[in-house]
Amino acid sequence: MLKPLISRSLPPALLALLLAACQPDMPAEVRSGLVYCSEGSPESFNPQLVTSGTTIDATSRQLFDRLLDINPDTGEFRPALATHWEIREDGLSYTFYLRPGVQFHQTDYFSPSRPLTSADVRFSFERIMLTEHPFHAVSGGDYPYFQTVDWANRVVRIATPTDEQVVFYLRQRDSSFLSNLATDFAVIHSAEYAQQLVEQNQRQRLDTHPIGTGPFKFREYRKDVFIRYYRHGSYWGEPSQLEQLVIDIEPNNAKRMARLLTHECDIIAYPRMAELELISKRDDVRVQQQTSMNVGFWAFNTSKEPFNNSKVRRALSMAINRDAILQAVYFNQAEAATSLLPPTSWGHNPTLLPVPYNPEAARSLLAEAGYPYGFNMTIWAMPIQRLYNPNATRMAEMMQADLARIGVRASIVTLEWNAFRRQLRQGEHDSVLLGWNADNTDPDNFFRPLVSCNGVDSGTNRALWCDPAFDALIAQALLTDNQTIRRSYYWAAQQYLAEHLPLLPLAHAKRFQAVNHRVEGVGINPYGGIDLSTAFKRPDKDTP
Amino acid sequence: MIWHYLVRRLFLLSFVFFALTCFAFSLGHLFPGDPLVNFSGISQPDDELLPILVQQYQLDNGYLQQYIAFLQRILQGDWGLSLASQQPVLYELSQVFPATLELVAYALLISFVLGVPLGLLAAIKASHWSGRVISTIALLGYSLPIFWWALLMIMLFSIGLGWFPTSGRISVLYEIPSVTGFMLPDILLSGQTYWQAALQDAIRHLWLPAFVLATYPTTVMIRFTRDAMLNVWQQSYIKTARAKGLSRSQVLYRHGLRNAMLPVMRQLGLQFSTLVTLAMISELIFSWPGIGLWLLDSISQRNYPAIQGGLLVISSLVILVNILMDVLHTLFNPLARKQANG
Amino acid sequence: MAKFQWLYHKTEHGPLSQLWVSFRQQHSAVIGLMLFGFFTLIALFGPVLTPYDPYLQNPDALLLPPSWDDMGDVRYLLGTDDLGRDQLSRLIKGASYTFGIALITALGAMLLGLLLGVLAGMSKGFRASAFNHVLDLALTIPSLLLAIIIVAILGPGLINTIWAIMLALLPQFVHGVRNTILQQLEQEYVIAYRLDGANNWQILRYVIFPNTWEQLTVLFSMALSTAILDIAALGFLGLGAQAPAAEWGLMVADALDLIYLSPWSIALPGLLIFIAVLSVNLVSDGLRTAVRKRQEN
Repeated sequence: MLKPLISRSLPPALLALLLAACQPDMPAEVRSGLVYCSEGSPESFNPQLVTSGTTIDATSRQLFDRLLDINPDTGEFRPALATHWEIREDGLSYTFYLRPGVQFHQTDYFSPSRPLTSADVRFSFERIMLTEHPFHAVSGGDYPYFQTVDWANRVVRIATPTDEQVVFYLRQRDSSFLSNLATDFAVIHSAEYAQQLVEQNQRQRLDTHPIGTGPFKFREYRKDVFIRYYRHGSYWGEPSQLEQLVIDIEPNNAKRMARLLTHECDIIAYPRMAELELISKRDDVRVQQQTSMNVGFWAFNTSKEPFNNSKVRRALSMAINRDAILQAVYFNQAEAATSLLPPTSWGHNPTLLPVPYNPEAARSLLAEAGYPYGFNMTIWAMPIQRLYNPNATRMAEMMQADLARIGVRASIVTLEWNAFRRQLRQGEHDSVLLGWNADNTDPDNFFRPLVSCNGVDSGTNRALWCDPAFDALIAQALLTDNQTIRRSYYWAAQQYLAEHLPLLPLAHAKRFQAVNHRVEGVGINPYGGIDLSTAFKRPDKDTP
Repeated sequence: MIWHYLVRRLFLLSFVFFALTCFAFSLGHLFPGDPLVNFSGISQPDDELLPILVQQYQLDNGYLQQYIAFLQRILQGDWGLSLASQQPVLYELSQVFPATLELVAYALLISFVLGVPLGLLAAIKASHWSGRVISTIALLGYSLPIFWWALLMIMLFSIGLGWFPTSGRISVLYEIPSVTGFMLPDILLSGQTYWQAALQDAIRHLWLPAFVLATYPTTVMIRFTRDAMLNVWQQSYIKTARAKGLSRSQVLYRHGLRNAMLPVMRQLGLQFSTLVTLAMISELIFSWPGIGLWLLDSISQRNYPAIQGGLLVISSLVILVNILMDVLHTLFNPLARKQANG
Repeated sequence: MAKFQWLYHKTEHGPLSQLWVSFRQQHSAVIGLMLFGFFTLIALFGPVLTPYDPYLQNPDALLLPPSWDDMGDVRYLLGTDDLGRDQLSRLIKGASYTFGIALITALGAMLLGLLLGVLAGMSKGFRASAFNHVLDLALTIPSLLLAIIIVAILGPGLINTIWAIMLALLPQFVHGVRNTILQQLEQEYVIAYRLDGANNWQILRYVIFPNTWEQLTVLFSMALSTAILDIAALGFLGLGAQAPAAEWGLMVADALDLIYLSPWSIALPGLLIFIAVLSVNLVSDGLRTAVRKRQEN
């Protein structure tokens, strides 16, 4: 009685369910949308406030424009919002001529009444440099990148002679100034939107509900779930072919890869290098590769005992079996680092040798420094994968075993990314595994954020290392445009770092991106974030 | 007489809620860090706000006043801000909780549809091979670690066969505004031109997590239906019914099933807490944006106001289901009703 | 004499041996018991049995597949993980963690539950009712949520989450013990014994305990399977055992990144959890059937 009932009703039900499992006809909004699977939530929607690559990838190139860009192929500057610019003989004033008719985003929370003018440019940068600016203290008042390049002291003032002209006056010659303006942090906001927010008394929305001039406009954001952008219809450049761009947030590597394989994601950030070979065997996904300017390092908290002792730092560095790390963590897709600067940078010092792996010598050095029986320490391992460090926890586990051999008892600390960064900032770590992605081609972009005194204040110098002699070296390098002279300063700076080892450079990795075979035109830069404005999806062969 | 029982249940309910709020309140002090931050979720209150908050939260008074203030806030819907997103905890809960309810409801539906008939079959054919196979499958399913099972299912159905997606409630490219918080009604309410495609997509997303989550309750259902049925089958009233000349299936439906379902229902209430734990784990694996995923994110973010809110909501749900099942059990069971009054 | 011999024969089969007889008749239960014994032995003597140090990293042998695979190495029977640690050694060590600690947790919960259950069963009136209500509350908090709260207060760690699991297991024991005691107290022989002048303790010691242990064993076996699943799940979620511990659930989580490269590093620990729980459930089912049969006799 029961069995026939089941056998009669089950097959049709199963059939209906299996039908649901087939791909339905996709509507246009869905077909021409692209899903980029990112490794984390952005901290803000304003790139001025951050340094993290995750936030830059999600916001900078999609929502905003800069005055000028760097051509990823040649490394030269090219016009963006400014069509051209002039530099005065003495290098103390830069005049930019703005592109006419650039439209800001039209959204359900803001309708622009006018195109881009010099007032917008001035607003965007004065917010950073003037402490009394009505927006300066909004969202915490920290502008880490601009603090590390000492922007507020270098730029005397910004003038707007006409609606199309902006002039920056500098205190002293700064050969990295244009590079700084071309970074992903130097984005242009709308002064009109800011005014509206002041009237509504909702200033913080400038950083949570962004208005820019970029190829996409903000639609909605669900923390830890996704971000939705629409196409900016009146974009000044080539409009995107995508109706919408969705950034799907998934911190777990294996899950991101699964979503690529099931075609839930069109592009995934940071595929694991170990899996690249596996992907290359499939014909529905493809791997893009690009040399990238980055470095993964192990920073010691030099403000704490015993890490303020350079002998201890050297001993710890010598205890690390780097070759094993390169194999197990980077799957040999990275170069061993001898310096902070990657070999592709013009400032790289090729005479440096890597710190040798020698546990015996490390042990005696440690004894010499007064720690014959070792000590306890923490290794903070970042919870997310970055290019420069695809698996920090794994790396920390290997280091833990290495350090145990010289009598140092390390414990591993790992927290959710935002909490991790917050506590790092408070200097609670003994040592931390982190890294840096170049924002532009200038070598200064490595030294000043990572190991200068300014970097300590802005929270990018995780070694908390502040050495006036070193700061003098990198400051000297900025006073001239002559690349040969600058190079000699940077060689000396790298030598100095190799002697003091506030951080141990570990590896320079290549950047990979795994994309669906239908996706074309994704821009990956050697520096800076991903650019999805030129990406598009080829239609399936079997659909007309 | 039944009212007497219901009033007693109501009294029990209020007592348990009282104890629960006491517990949730004490967490504000037990969690590391400043109780003010733990309660309000404002990570760095400035000098203007600080005295207002201390006053509002009664933090310079005794625990009793603090608790009363806490209770008032809970009742008014002021559950503090999430430390991670600085959005109201109650708002975030209203976003994630329906997703969990939806998943649990579908899993329970599957477990009823599959579990009860299979359990009956296993009881009727207890010594036949089909009954044994069902019992064995139930035992195997009962022993599966859910996270491992979910991974196997993903490997097989998503990555291997490509039938089902691995994550979320619907493809992120479909824009469905949250009205009720339940995906399927929301799609119908969205008024989007692509609602049919969206509905299909949502169902495709639902399959795997609902099936994985249903594994445990289905096996419980099979086991308890079978045991209860075997038990009922030996009762004298069944024998009487058979003797009266009722057919096997008539007896099965009129007397057996109804009486067998009583302990099954009761068991369901008791197992609900386990089901919620399993739902939280499956949410993590299938990136299902429900309360479990939200809480597990909150623990890694040390988001104490969120954990407090999650505790209140999840426990209330489990308590309500438990009491509801208990009440239903009593209403349908004359024996238990008699005991409840006696 | 023959008559008496027959009676004598009957009493020789105490409840324990009767139970064993009907337990032994179920093949699945016996297999479960053998597996259970096997896991217990491994958990006890695991540290001496491992071919390698489970935490020893061998950078020259990363991600080796099991030895029967073409790429495998005989020295590593079940292959190695991505740090070159021997899988077999880690899995053996994992038995002490997942299975061994689950045993201890369930035992702890049982002893505590027995104590509280006796207190609850023997006390009357308001105290008993309030106690029951608190228990009902404890029952409603899912074990994972309890673990999350304890981790929020004390930080992640195996020991911390064990408290959560124990707390979550406790109510079943207390309820079980209490109900048995209440049932027993209503029995006529207890009343008779009481009329003989026995005090509470004597009643417990000589009448109630001997009639509770059966129930306790069944409860214990059910609690053990929950404990194994919970310890593994919490390890998997990163709340319980912390890296580099060789806990099975944690090993699955660790291997998640390798799911495409070495699926066996997920399959093996998961399979062991499954078999361990299955063995406990087989024993548990067998026990319950045996108890039922004995009571029916």
